[in-house]
Amino acid sequence: MVAFVTQFVQTLIYGLIEGSVISVGAVGLTLSYGVTRFINFAYGEFLTYGAYLALFLSGAGLGLSLPLPVATIVAVLVVGAFGVGVSRVFFEPLSDRGPLPLLITSIGVAFILRYALTAAVGVSAKQLPVPLMRPVEVFGVGTTPLRAAVFLVAIATMLLIHVLLTYTMLGKTMRATSGNRNLAEIAGIDTDGVVRRTWFISAGAGALAGVLYAVLFAPFRPTVGFEYLIVIFAATLLGGIGRPYGAMIGAIIVGVAMNLGTTYLSAEYTMAYAFAILVGVLLFKPDGIAGGEI
Amino acid sequence: MGVFTPTALLSLPGWGSFLLTVLTIAGIYSLLTLGLNIHYGYTGLINFGHVAFFAAGAYTAALLTVPPPAQVSGAEYVFGLNLPMPLGLPISLVAAAVVGGLLATLIGATSVRLGSHYLAVATFALAGIFGSVLENEAWLTNGSFGLNSVPKPGRAAMSADTWAVAYFVFVVVVLVVVAFVLSRLTGSPFGRLLKGVRESEDAAQMLGKNTIRVKLTSFAIGGAVAGLAGGLYAHYVGSVVVQQFVPAVTFTVWAALLLGGVASNTGAVFGAFLLVGFRESTRFLTNIYDSLLASLPTVAADALRLAVEPLPDHASFVPSLRFVVIGLLIVLVIRYRPEGVFGDPNEIDAIGEED
Amino acid sequence: MSRDSSESDAAAGVTRSDSDAPLLEVDDVVKRFGGLTAIDHASFGVEAESITGLIGPNGAGKSTLFNCVTGMLTPDSGAVRLAGEDVQDLPPNRIAQRGLGRTFQTPKIFRGMSVRENLAFAARGQTGERPISALVRPGTVGSEEADIRERVDDTLAFLSLDHLAEEYASGLSGGQRKLLELGRVLMLDPEIILLDEPMAGVNPSLADDLLDRLHELNDRGRTILLIEHDMDLVMNHCDRVVVLHNGQTLASGPPSIVQEDERVVEAYLGGFENA
Repeated sequence: MVAFVTQFVQTLIYGLIEGSVISVGAVGLTLSYGVTRFINFAYGEFLTYGAYLALFLSGAGLGLSLPLPVATIVAVLVVGAFGVGVSRVFFEPLSDRGPLPLLITSIGVAFILRYALTAAVGVSAKQLPVPLMRPVEVFGVGTTPLRAAVFLVAIATMLLIHVLLTYTMLGKTMRATSGNRNLAEIAGIDTDGVVRRTWFISAGAGALAGVLYAVLFAPFRPTVGFEYLIVIFAATLLGGIGRPYGAMIGAIIVGVAMNLGTTYLSAEYTMAYAFAILVGVLLFKPDGIAGGEI
Repeated sequence: MGVFTPTALLSLPGWGSFLLTVLTIAGIYSLLTLGLNIHYGYTGLINFGHVAFFAAGAYTAALLTVPPPAQVSGAEYVFGLNLPMPLGLPISLVAAAVVGGLLATLIGATSVRLGSHYLAVATFALAGIFGSVLENEAWLTNGSFGLNSVPKPGRAAMSADTWAVAYFVFVVVVLVVVAFVLSRLTGSPFGRLLKGVRESEDAAQMLGKNTIRVKLTSFAIGGAVAGLAGGLYAHYVGSVVVQQFVPAVTFTVWAALLLGGVASNTGAVFGAFLLVGFRESTRFLTNIYDSLLASLPTVAADALRLAVEPLPDHASFVPSLRFVVIGLLIVLVIRYRPEGVFGDPNEIDAIGEED
Repeated sequence: MSRDSSESDAAAGVTRSDSDAPLLEVDDVVKRFGGLTAIDHASFGVEAESITGLIGPNGAGKSTLFNCVTGMLTPDSGAVRLAGEDVQDLPPNRIAQRGLGRTFQTPKIFRGMSVRENLAFAARGQTGERPISALVRPGTVGSEEADIRERVDDTLAFLSLDHLAEEYASGLSGGQRKLLELGRVLMLDPEIILLDEPMAGVNPSLADDLLDRLHELNDRGRTILLIEHDMDLVMNHCDRVVVLHNGQTLASGPPSIVQEDERVVEAYLGGFENA
């Protein structure tokens, strides 16, 4: 009984930690959906690029050896700017053609980004330079300081995005643009600028999620983001697409469910639990758990 | 990547047999593209899980015809029906089509009520679930080792080259028959029904049409064609492994369809041949490079070597560039020629829009 | 067209055995969206072979009511009866098959199909709509297609769209799209036709034409319920008028009487003057 409780609590903790990482990516995806109105299948590549850039900056390849936190911050900023570039080159020229061409284009963009990276770095698995750590345990339950740090960074990011959305002018204009772009434009908001900054935040959040994921689940390959995309989709749709707070809650649920499933049902189906949640949401509650307005 | 073609066949001597391999695979991909065309081109259904129906057909054909596990060393799977060849071939192919169609109907039934974008995500996710089931249920599929003794019908009776020609002819015959049947369908009142659902589901409903049933039927037909393609593929390659059935297959087929032209059966076949031709021919870039180095005068060879030197030197470099090109193709076609080569710009005007 | 109308007259004779009950009956229908009550216990009837106008200020719930009647929305409570039978729980296609056709405020035409295909789509009971039949019964399908083609030609002529038969519908003007949508509904051959602002955006000469056509259809026994903003039009051309206000039926009856109703004048006609 004690062993069961210990294992259960431990699984919950792992689920919460993974959920916090998912939530960074899910919030990023949902923010860009809010202003662009299409489901971006290329979003996973921002995770991949974030992880690889952090890797290069912190040790492998470029002759740099920045401390990982610094490398992460640089990676987030660079991938954020890269996201703006991607949107200008690939998506903005199609913005008046309705959502479907954008959706299909995002598949093409995903291919271009993923395989350009693969062509450059190969498919061999890489690992971020993180130290091996002994878990800190209380009553047989615990986690490594590294994982705890991942959790704290993710939570801090959520708080930052909350502050941004609630208290800053940018957040208010983002929400206005997300609610009704034409109306926002009439109200004098520079919606193009808002869209650009949203892409920056969205891609940057993706990059951060990629780094955090790579810290948790090293090693990784160029397909890491695309493979994790479905997990992020699940969290995003569970929370109701376009809604940042829904995405956070959805991410926690998906993270916990994946870890519970892996522990108690079958370890082989980790991703499939996220798929199953995703399909379940689509079937029974396409608006997400919070329902109603988007 | 090694995902698509059997290297064993490519080792056959001569350009002729290589070309035959490309054309045979292209014929099989034409079927896949025709199937997707029914979904997307004619009905407006965004199916991002097409590879699942292909895989379902391939595994069905394999399980019906592989020898029972007792006869295969290291087999994890629990049954293989060992249907005799070539008489079992029609049964195997029909079963592949039926299972592909059933899986498509099942996936359709869960997600056909969704709007177009959610449908895209749902089909993608369901195909992912199907893929992990194939990988993990080794009792059925032999897991990631795959089923490697799928019989090549008639192979015992003839030489490798003869068999390659015969199977190619067989694939072409199947393709012609399927293309003919699909053209008849899309030109009939049924085709009109599909297009109406594509253009406006609300209007179709208000005109008394059961649009859910229409979409499910569309799913079933396109899935059956993809399943048939899977059966043909299994008996051609002789083995069925999960690594052959990755999302990249789905999106290669999408690229072929978009390039050839949505809602055009001619376009679908054209796009598949073009794309598979491109993909297979680039497998030999490195060979061409090596032979160039050998045949050029020393100065030119050195210059070439110098020019190539900054490029990364690993096995996945050229295969990756192939997918970069496929991605670019999707992006460029959508932006500059959304109707593709053979499509009609008027027809794609409203495709995939919500009411 | 003459052939269709005799058919529908025959059909009408059968279904309208109970001549007292209205052909379409909205009975205490309620529809809420979240906290908003869009339709609030609306009740009215549409008499067979009438032209009935549904009027009300913007946001009164007219289009929502159309959606409830046609099955695109399911009422939260209340009943919708067509020829005496409850249809509020049926899907739109089943309601359409029972003889109800509608158009949309913004026409939902099949843009990627020719005008002719748009109309042919709507014909009922097509054998060739079933994939197997389409393949194995070419004779039946062929002769049905010939019949449909004839009906399409008649309908196009009736609406003066015949010169556009082979055009893609995406090339049509707004007014032509309204006509096309009406033509499609006629191919369905319904007993009752619901028209959502049929005159909006149609140029005046075409609008007169359209009105003549509606009267002609009405003379042939079709019942028409239309949403319209143009008060003159409603008062001059409708047999009966239903006034919807805040999701409630404020009044219904002949135009002359409704026009005099104080509540209507206050809530609706007065509202117009203030606007």
